[in-house]
Amino acid sequence: MDDYDVRSAASILASVKEQEARFERLTRALEEERRNVSLQLERANLPPERLSVCNMGGSQPLAWQQIVMQEQSPSNQTSLAMMQEPQELVEETVTIEEDPGTPTSHVSVVTSEDGTTRRTETKVTKVVKTITRRTYHPVTVTETLVESKPATPIAEIDPVTKMVKTVTTRTVRQVPLGPDGLPIPDGSSPLGSYTDSIDRRYMKNGDRYITPQATSTLTRSFNNYNDSYTENPEGQYRHYGLHDGYTDMSDNYGSLSRGVNYRPRYAYMPPNNYRPENSYTLPIRKDDYGHVAQPQVPMGSSNVELNRSQPERFHPEPYGLEDDRRSLGPEEEEAYELEPDYSTAGRRTLAGADRGRQMREPIREPARVRGGYEDPIEAELIDERHPYIPSVYTAPLAQPERGSMASLDRLERMGRRSPSIDSIRKDPRWRDPDLPEVIAMLGHPIDPVKSNAAAYLQHLCYENDKIKKDVRHLKGIPILVSLLDHPKAEVHRKACGALRNISYGKDNDNKVAIKNCDGIPALIRLLRKTNDMEVRELITGTLWNLSSYEPLKMVIINHGLQTLTNEVIIPHSGWEQEPNEDSKPRDAEWTTVFKNTSGCLRNVSSDGAEARRRLRECEGLVDALLHALQSAVGKKDMDNKSVENCVCIMRNLSYHVHKEVPGAEKFQDPTANQAPGSGGPQRKKKDDAGCFGGKKAKGRKNGENDKNYDTLDLPKRTEPTKGFELLYQPEVVRLYLSLLTESQNYNTLEAAAGALQNLSAGQWTWSTYIRATVRKEKGLPILVELLRSDSDKVVRAVAIALRNLSIDRRNKDLIGSYAMRDLVSNLPSGQQRPAKNLEEDTVVAILNTIHEIVTDSSENARSLIQAQAIEKLVAINRTSQSPRETKAASHVLQTVWSYKELRNTLNKDGWNKTHFQLTTAALPKGSKSGKPGYDDTTLPLMEKSQGNKKSGSGDVIPMDELGPDGYSTIDQRDKESKYKTGDGSGDVTEREPLKNDTNRKNFLRSNRPSVNLVDACDVKPQPVDSWV
Amino acid sequence: MSYIPGQPVTAVVQRIEIHKLRHGDNLILGFSIGGGIDQDPGQNPYSEDKTDKGIYVTRVSEGGPAEVAGLMIGDKIMQVNGWDMTMVTHDQARKRLTKKNEDIVRLLVTRKSLENAVRHSMLQ
Repeated sequence: MDDYDVRSAASILASVKEQEARFERLTRALEEERRNVSLQLERANLPPERLSVCNMGGSQPLAWQQIVMQEQSPSNQTSLAMMQEPQELVEETVTIEEDPGTPTSHVSVVTSEDGTTRRTETKVTKVVKTITRRTYHPVTVTETLVESKPATPIAEIDPVTKMVKTVTTRTVRQVPLGPDGLPIPDGSSPLGSYTDSIDRRYMKNGDRYITPQATSTLTRSFNNYNDSYTENPEGQYRHYGLHDGYTDMSDNYGSLSRGVNYRPRYAYMPPNNYRPENSYTLPIRKDDYGHVAQPQVPMGSSNVELNRSQPERFHPEPYGLEDDRRSLGPEEEEAYELEPDYSTAGRRTLAGADRGRQMREPIREPARVRGGYEDPIEAELIDERHPYIPSVYTAPLAQPERGSMASLDRLERMGRRSPSIDSIRKDPRWRDPDLPEVIAMLGHPIDPVKSNAAAYLQHLCYENDKIKKDVRHLKGIPILVSLLDHPKAEVHRKACGALRNISYGKDNDNKVAIKNCDGIPALIRLLRKTNDMEVRELITGTLWNLSSYEPLKMVIINHGLQTLTNEVIIPHSGWEQEPNEDSKPRDAEWTTVFKNTSGCLRNVSSDGAEARRRLRECEGLVDALLHALQSAVGKKDMDNKSVENCVCIMRNLSYHVHKEVPGAEKFQDPTANQAPGSGGPQRKKKDDAGCFGGKKAKGRKNGENDKNYDTLDLPKRTEPTKGFELLYQPEVVRLYLSLLTESQNYNTLEAAAGALQNLSAGQWTWSTYIRATVRKEKGLPILVELLRSDSDKVVRAVAIALRNLSIDRRNKDLIGSYAMRDLVSNLPSGQQRPAKNLEEDTVVAILNTIHEIVTDSSENARSLIQAQAIEKLVAINRTSQSPRETKAASHVLQTVWSYKELRNTLNKDGWNKTHFQLTTAALPKGSKSGKPGYDDTTLPLMEKSQGNKKSGSGDVIPMDELGPDGYSTIDQRDKESKYKTGDGSGDVTEREPLKNDTNRKNFLRSNRPSVNLVDACDVKPQPVDSWV
Repeated sequence: MSYIPGQPVTAVVQRIEIHKLRHGDNLILGFSIGGGIDQDPGQNPYSEDKTDKGIYVTRVSEGGPAEVAGLMIGDKIMQVNGWDMTMVTHDQARKRLTKKNEDIVRLLVTRKSLENAVRHSMLQ
């Protein structure tokens, strides 16, 4: 063989001699020790033999004892023999090892364990240590040799081997001597066989003697040790030398070592060692590679063939799957990393013939691989390997004709090691499991198979709607759901991951399928049970996905609201029910779990009055959300998704508080109710009251509030407010204003403005407070400033908020003076849209706000004229393509014209009555009277339209794909909102009816069917439902 | 779940025993029911057959006695302590469940998933 040619006999001899010398020294030292010890023992009046034996028996299992005895003495001989005839002797060595040895020296050694003579012990220990280390790090030995013999690295391997072996043998003998009288931990039981395996391996190498043996297990673990513990780069080299020739080994190695290796490598690019792994994750290279030589060490490939067929090779099968799973690891985290290999692999098979090579190109970055591949699992697999080999055969992966061989092939494919193998086994016996098989494997009795199958499913489903659908049709979803209750973390985690991917997307049938097999309670149950962050992220992510589908919202509320609140929202928000005075308040943690959960609640909070009621009454929820937001403001961290979710929930819960909150009637303001619809004077009176005296007036009605109302402080309460009452306490105004000032996130801005809009609507005491508080907190300039925002929906929300705020007379005056120009500048001038090009909805909202401001205030109408608005209004009225804009504009114009004192000015500017009349084309008279714009603002209906769009727009946050696609989905929300007539962000912007005037409602209805729908929803007699 | 009046009904049922929770003067079961022969069966979201006027579990409070006992939303209550619940008014059902002198109610319920499970196992 080449090895032999290369190797120079002299070098071998030299190294062998060196070793020989060392061994002799060691032997002598040991002999000495032994003599010493026995002498001492004799001196001490102990019956040495018996005692030592007793000790042995007590401390060690019998079998172990025997091994020790057998091996100890021959070792000396071995080393001697080896030195003389290195090459041939390798084999002999083994034989010798297996010979029962004479226990002579053993006695002494054991005796030393007694602990009577310290000196002896220490010395022995020392010896043991040195040698032991060698055993675990053959590298060390190699190094020595390399030093002595710088030439021909390959040649050295054999001598090294021998050295190792010999040393090992010795070590075995020493093991029972372990310092504390304990067997050396790592070595203990496997050590004997461990030695064995090493030897055999080397035999193969040197003597072309191939033994198909069952030692791969041990060998592997050996490799792991080697790999993970050696810092020496030699280790890598060594590793190659040893394994690459042995394809079978390295295959095994590849799969196993991943778990162990990854963590240490995490931070940097793994050196050579990494390459095999890459190829590992690229299962289908076979055809592409053809016969191209692999970069690895070429030796031994022919041997490999022989080994291939050995049964031992089946072990790794489960690992093959594990690798699948592993490759999924990152998928869960970073979608874009994922696409690479596995998906292609899977898709190729499932989807058909596409070989998809180019898709395989992006090779996974090592750093992306999660460290998450826990050692425990690894350990578990090792433990279970033997038991489940047989069942692997039954696994559907194996093809019928070849049985286990099929799985073997599969493994190789994965390993993708040696080209020659590929060439020989050209015929494609191996294939990816098809979908029914994978689903069948979910029910496999072996847990790792289940979890691997689930992981593979997750992977297959990633961004593939067809597969999701197929999984559903093949009834895979109920099985996955049932796995959620599986006690093994690995299994329920992977099942959950698969469900998360399946639940994502536009196909609501998948979501319904999860719900139909009680997936939602199962998820909630698991959430209560598990403390594993990753699992919790998966659960809440799945729920978030599910919550985007309207019919499931109530189901989630029914099963999970309190659990989500207690398990996630409250703990992560930092809110404490009973704050400890000593500890400072905790800040919110913007974890993924919190983000997911708040997103889920955000979605479900838009499900109508009942949903809002449930959320408001959910203990601790509002408190915790507020706390989280306050903490966000405190830390000036207001742009993240969690904050956005929280504000949106708050906004939605603030909708209709004045109607829906228990006890709201007490706070209703009777005068206010009649004010809006009725004519100017009456209204004016009310508004004046609102300015300053109004508070008193209201105070009179609700005697209790009197004092506080005057000062506009929060009404004093005997006990601190909590729960839903917090929603409309004037303190929240400052919070929302802070968000409006600081946040850069349009959705957050919109939601905060929407919350103010909701709170300032309606006629009840609290909204009066809120309107006044916004002014006192200098919120009006902040809002006006936001009219200049680039974001359409922000402008819209702010405009409507201003409109509601202007119910307060003082606010109306201020807004009229300071906001008019900004409002007007947002209007399109004629057909030519302004730079911002706002949507119809926004324009209508602004027109309605302007209308509100100029109503009952000729001063404001005057500022409107001064802001050059008439020209724009007339242009809109005449030329706008949108009937709604036309209506709203004409409405403003009519109001302006109604101020007789202004007509003079208007006439001077060249306007006449015709400009302020409805263009005949625009609308029939009847609807005109209806002030069409209002339908938009009076909006209980938004909700419905929202709902309909929801499935698309509603924050299906792509849990599984945070990649570019994922983002596009998020954005989609916004895109989607462009199509809607309703409002911008995917959440319910709920707008308050400004006035409850019946007239308006009428045309509102006629104008918009959706209104009716929504109302009908709420009004419809609910089926009787009794708590028992 | 459709059946012919007058014919015996075959249903896969599960026994559920709920220990009521005392809450002040009240005994709480921790779930709500919908349906009954005086109600509009079309509005029952849980029934397969929209003419089914049976009593259905519409909500189960988290952590409540009913949830602990394994009752699930959408379960159809067939019997309460031996009393038939498939032909009762909503109020009769409520009263059956809320008898002050009974601390324990034994329900016979059926649910889709149960039937499916049975059907499935019979097929295999």
